[in-house]
Amino acid sequence: MIALEHVSKSFGNQVVLDDVSLSFPMGQTTAIIGPSGTGKSVLLKHIVGLLRPDSGRVMVLGTDMATAKEDALFSVRRRLGMLFQDGALFGSMSVGENIAFPLEHHRGDLTAAERAERVDEVLEQVELPGFANREVSELSGGQRKRVGLARAIVTRPEVVLFDEPNSGLDPLTSDSIDALIGQMKEALGITFIVISHDIVGTLNVADCVGMLYGGKLIAYGPTQEILKNPHPVLRRFLQRNVALPDTPNSNPHLPQALKEHS
Amino acid sequence: MEFLAQVGHYGLFTGRVAKRIVLGRFPFQALLRHLYTLIVRCMLPVVAVVFPFGMVIALQGLSIFSWFGAERLLASLASVAIIRELSPVLASVLVAAQGGSATAAELGAMRIKEELDATEVMGVDSISEHVAPRVLAMTLACPVLNLFGTVSGILGAFVTAVFIKDENAGVFIAQLWAFTSTGDLLASAVKTTVFGMIIGTTAAYLGFHAAGGAAGVGRAVNNTVVVSVLFFITANYFLTSALFGHIG
Amino acid sequence: MNALFTLGRFGWFCADFLRATTRRPPPIARSIEEAWRIGVRSLPILFIIACFVGTNLALQGYMAFEPLGGQHLVGMFVGLAGIRELAPIIAASMVAAKAGTEMASQVAVMRIQEEVDALEVMGVNPHWYLVTPRLLGILLVLTALTLISMVAMVGSAAAVAVYQLGLNGQHFTEMVASTMTMAEIGYGVLKSLLFGTIICLVSCYCGYYSKPGPEGVGSATNSAVVCAAVTCVMLNYLVSEMVYG
Repeated sequence: MIALEHVSKSFGNQVVLDDVSLSFPMGQTTAIIGPSGTGKSVLLKHIVGLLRPDSGRVMVLGTDMATAKEDALFSVRRRLGMLFQDGALFGSMSVGENIAFPLEHHRGDLTAAERAERVDEVLEQVELPGFANREVSELSGGQRKRVGLARAIVTRPEVVLFDEPNSGLDPLTSDSIDALIGQMKEALGITFIVISHDIVGTLNVADCVGMLYGGKLIAYGPTQEILKNPHPVLRRFLQRNVALPDTPNSNPHLPQALKEHS
Repeated sequence: MEFLAQVGHYGLFTGRVAKRIVLGRFPFQALLRHLYTLIVRCMLPVVAVVFPFGMVIALQGLSIFSWFGAERLLASLASVAIIRELSPVLASVLVAAQGGSATAAELGAMRIKEELDATEVMGVDSISEHVAPRVLAMTLACPVLNLFGTVSGILGAFVTAVFIKDENAGVFIAQLWAFTSTGDLLASAVKTTVFGMIIGTTAAYLGFHAAGGAAGVGRAVNNTVVVSVLFFITANYFLTSALFGHIG
Repeated sequence: MNALFTLGRFGWFCADFLRATTRRPPPIARSIEEAWRIGVRSLPILFIIACFVGTNLALQGYMAFEPLGGQHLVGMFVGLAGIRELAPIIAASMVAAKAGTEMASQVAVMRIQEEVDALEVMGVNPHWYLVTPRLLGILLVLTALTLISMVAMVGSAAAVAVYQLGLNGQHFTEMVASTMTMAEIGYGVLKSLLFGTIICLVSCYCGYYSKPGPEGVGSATNSAVVCAAVTCVMLNYLVSEMVYG
């Protein structure tokens, strides 16, 4: 169970999160959307405990990340995986070493061969077979994200978080990352939390959508309902981004034609 | 006020790093790797700076001593000046400029590219993993590089005195032996260990807390050189007074 | 090969800069602004460091001469070592550490953000635009900084000599004064100007050819200060050899 309860956070006198409460259903994909600079990344960093709220509670898998001691924090994080905006791969290591990094630290019980096997397995899953010996500097933006994703899922976490999975990518690569997220949800049954300002991709993969605006959660619910939600800011944001039809398809995902529009 | 807060913050950070080093909670292989890289990277600049400085010492020393016809005392001046002051200070300035700024740049880039956050999110302590081995490597590399600096500085003085100014090589070497004491060499090593610690923690602190994109990394690197040199030159005065403290 | 390439490119960089500078009057206002900024940023640290170098000069001079019974030479030692050699090189290396690194990282950031390309597209020679005001600024300000560090060094050395080492203050001052001729001071200042030119060109060069990304800025800044310092110290020996050799 992951839930934020009345979380507020300000930097200096700038309020970034203002009394935000929401819970993320397990086993589903939840997307948080909103224009840039509305505290989406800050929200994500609260869930993994990189930031602590000024007030409120952040319950992640039974631990309050707002007050957890360092050891407790680390043991929760072992059950999480996170894909950073630009992958955040270690430049000093090869692709394989990057992916093996969390295994080396947390799975001392695995032999080197077993670790290598796990690395190959996740590289296969992100559709980059045979990349283990590549250098990070040789990778394109999309490949970096996939390796970052491989590193996030190699420990078989219960929850995976995505920070702008589509930013900085061309539409085709972006779609392939979305497809990957969709596939993995089916195959692994992991809880996904995605923050994004790319509506098309998000609506394609998300079961639930929340919209942050000015530090407040202005709308939250299943994707279909969100598409019908009359909140003016949400309407404007959606229309600007996807040329939304007035009556969304009964399919929770957007029609294929829309995707090709963007 | 803000300055005091910074100093306090730096103190806390240093404490966290020190705790991990003392408890041995850092990857030992990374320490060796950083130590090796530091020594290789800084070797050339240290030698390239201390050697000509040794030559200048000999040049200027001779011009002073020649007024009194005491040129044969040159080696004593050169040995004392280079071992006690010049090599420790110059080698450390170069270690700060080359190694310290590289450390700040590495950690700063890791901060900006969210690699440090990624380490934390993977449940690994970023200070143990990335900071502690770098700080310890700096602390250990500084005295080693100082030794190379000392040797090349004295060599520089020797070259100028013997090959350019035609002083007697035998006298130079004899004077050198007579005036070089183990105590001075030890004091020099102690000094540079402290300097290395100062450079390492300053660089790590500034790099670890870099913010604001590529320009932020540049700022961290600038400040590392300036702040660490400032700190260790100040420390140098007190260390010199304490270590060679039969005076004053 | 690599070193030759770098050297050649540096030569071309300097040549193109010279050509551009002679064709177009320097931007006076920006130069003065640079000078002010370099001066204000470097002064406090330079002052503190010069003071501590002065104190140690007195301590070590005393320790070197005392066994030979030459305590009275400490003043002369401080004057000669401080004014001839240390003040110019310390002023230069602090300016390299503070202003040089800043130049390198500014230019590198401009390069990465394609501002340098933008200059070129707008028909402004980037060497002229970036280097000229910084060079004039550094030359303007380094004279003052060198003189200040001479004073700080001798002053702090005198304080240590008199209060910590118990030497005769008047005698010390006379010995220092005997070495402080106009020629010595002028020589020190000239040397620092030479260093300033090198620092500026090397720093701008390193920034100008920076590699992309935050690491690029970091390593450009890093190599700027190291290359500048090494070149200055080597030149320092050559100049000293020519003048005193």
